[in-house]
Amino acid sequence: MNNTAASPMSAAASSSGRSVGKSISFASELQIMMFSLGDARRPLHETAVLIEDVVHTQLINLLQQAAEVSRLRGARVISDEDLLFLMRKDKKKLRRLLKYMFFRDYKSKIVKGIDEDDLLEDKLSGSSNTNKRQKTAQDFLNSIDQTGELLAMFEDDEIDEVKQERMERAERQTRIMDSAQYAEFCESRQLSFYKKASKFRDWLDCSSMEIKPSVVAMEILAYLAYETVAQLVDLALLVRQDMVTKAGDPFSHAISATFIQYHNSAESPAACGVEAHSDAIQPCHIREAVRRYGHKIGPLSPFTSAYRRNGMAFLAC
Amino acid sequence: MVGPLPMEEETYLELYLDQRAAQDDLTQPRSPLPSSIVPFDVFMPNSSTPETAFSSLLEEVEEASGDFSSVDLSFLSDELTQENKDPAVARSKHEIEESCKTPSQPLPSEQDAGPDLNSRLSNSHSHLHPGDADSVQPSLEKSTFLPLASITPMTPMTSVSECSGTVPQLQNVVSTANLACKLDLKKIALQARNAEYNPKRFAAVIMRIREPRTTALIFSSGKIVCTGARSEEQSRLAARKFARVIQKLGFPARFLDFKIQNLVGSCDVRFPIRLEGLVLTHQQFCSYEPELFPGLIYRMVNPRVVLLIFVSGKVVLTGLFSRSVFAPELHYDNPLVWILLRYKCALILLVSII
Repeated sequence: MNNTAASPMSAAASSSGRSVGKSISFASELQIMMFSLGDARRPLHETAVLIEDVVHTQLINLLQQAAEVSRLRGARVISDEDLLFLMRKDKKKLRRLLKYMFFRDYKSKIVKGIDEDDLLEDKLSGSSNTNKRQKTAQDFLNSIDQTGELLAMFEDDEIDEVKQERMERAERQTRIMDSAQYAEFCESRQLSFYKKASKFRDWLDCSSMEIKPSVVAMEILAYLAYETVAQLVDLALLVRQDMVTKAGDPFSHAISATFIQYHNSAESPAACGVEAHSDAIQPCHIREAVRRYGHKIGPLSPFTSAYRRNGMAFLAC
Repeated sequence: MVGPLPMEEETYLELYLDQRAAQDDLTQPRSPLPSSIVPFDVFMPNSSTPETAFSSLLEEVEEASGDFSSVDLSFLSDELTQENKDPAVARSKHEIEESCKTPSQPLPSEQDAGPDLNSRLSNSHSHLHPGDADSVQPSLEKSTFLPLASITPMTPMTSVSECSGTVPQLQNVVSTANLACKLDLKKIALQARNAEYNPKRFAAVIMRIREPRTTALIFSSGKIVCTGARSEEQSRLAARKFARVIQKLGFPARFLDFKIQNLVGSCDVRFPIRLEGLVLTHQQFCSYEPELFPGLIYRMVNPRVVLLIFVSGKVVLTGLFSRSVFAPELHYDNPLVWILLRYKCALILLVSII
């Protein structure tokens, strides 16, 4: 992973070079996920393949860093606490992850209450796992929290803007659908990496690693993978919106100048425009999004974020 | 409107909506829906005319679909309790007025949804007739919302039978009781029929009875958990039967501290629900993560109930509905217990249907 800001293309190339024997592909699932996140009805296959590469690379990196944290701790498995530790820098994403974990607990509690058989099984197993995830998360954050900020997150009730925006986008998208389309949309929203846990596990290929992730850690990884895809789609939609020069926009000539400066000719907006006969997200949008995300700007950028040393910024944490 | 008004809010709303309906020049026949229309009221003999008109209206409304996401009914807060109905009503009345002004914009569906909204509201509220003299008010709410029309099994009215299934039916009641004596689980497992006991797995006997069809977990401390009953009364009866079984086995069992722990009900509103709209308008109450669970979890504050709302229109309700929240004269077993609950439920769903 070179250190030049990110040509994700080179990263993608290297990862696909590594995994040339990989037969597991999430491209079709990703296409469904992209649709549910705001892309067009039939997302492009190339875009899905590119996203798959990006997500895969990022997850592998994340796993390796988590393994290192685990090793430092002297543990034998990567637990969810290691992942939480890696995410400690970004409060918003951490809070989103926590909310997700709590929702999981809450949902299992309710569903247990409803389904009688589940209720009996739960009683039988000793019912010690209500709010299990919440407890471990809380305990762990308690232990690493030195300034009290992390614990404040639990009480914090701020609106998650990114999530809000996604909800609004979904609402706009579904408003114009009819029943059949909406039913399809709902089904596609239900797809997640977690549903395909074994395929996900194989895709990540942890067999070469010494320290393997635990079950809860795998859940979190599936969630982070989904978050990465969601972030990519969010950013790509923004990029696409930028690329469209609006009439009367006084900065339109400046925008195209910027693009030309950073892109090589193959990726110029004009070329992208030619490819775009659908309103699906194009691979160029994704690449531009990743480039911008990894772009270090500001006076202190060379000194920020330890986990950028790999040259790729994590989208999910 | 005749008779005492156990729920004044409906009076205001109804009066209010009468005005709106008149202003909006609705063509739906509202006159056939007099205050005596209680197609669902067992005690009220009914003429069939209003009721057939009503049921045909029902079907029509059920078919009408429209995008109501722009009509913001989120103001209808869950604090609309029995105690402070009146100020709440005055406020909501005002807001309904504002929101009723909006639905005239072009909507994607073919049916005209705009006036339907008003008609729906007005029709639904016209049924909120408190008027009915009987203190058993099945009518009241049966149809706070037309697609949620209900029937009690005892009504002879067959023309509205097609609306069955939309009333929240209790599916499960979980209760606990204390037998107040120490129990020898092994002895119980050996001597009782339909009892399972696996001490390595779990420290309780699982016993089942057929009538009412329930399952109990019996602990050595003498506490029992009874699940599977279809009503609170049945749950109590079942718990008593379990206690009786224990008594017959020779233990000095009593029947103390019977308490309902949880109620689970389900219903079907018969129209698809656009959950994205709902989660946006009622954010503070909703959680929706389709990757984890296909239903939206709505935490209603008053009454304290959790609703699982699915796209298909099926709704599962769970929680403890204490009867004191509702009019105490209401019949125990009857879905009437869900009156206020359904009222809110319906209004919430009104926001988000496709």
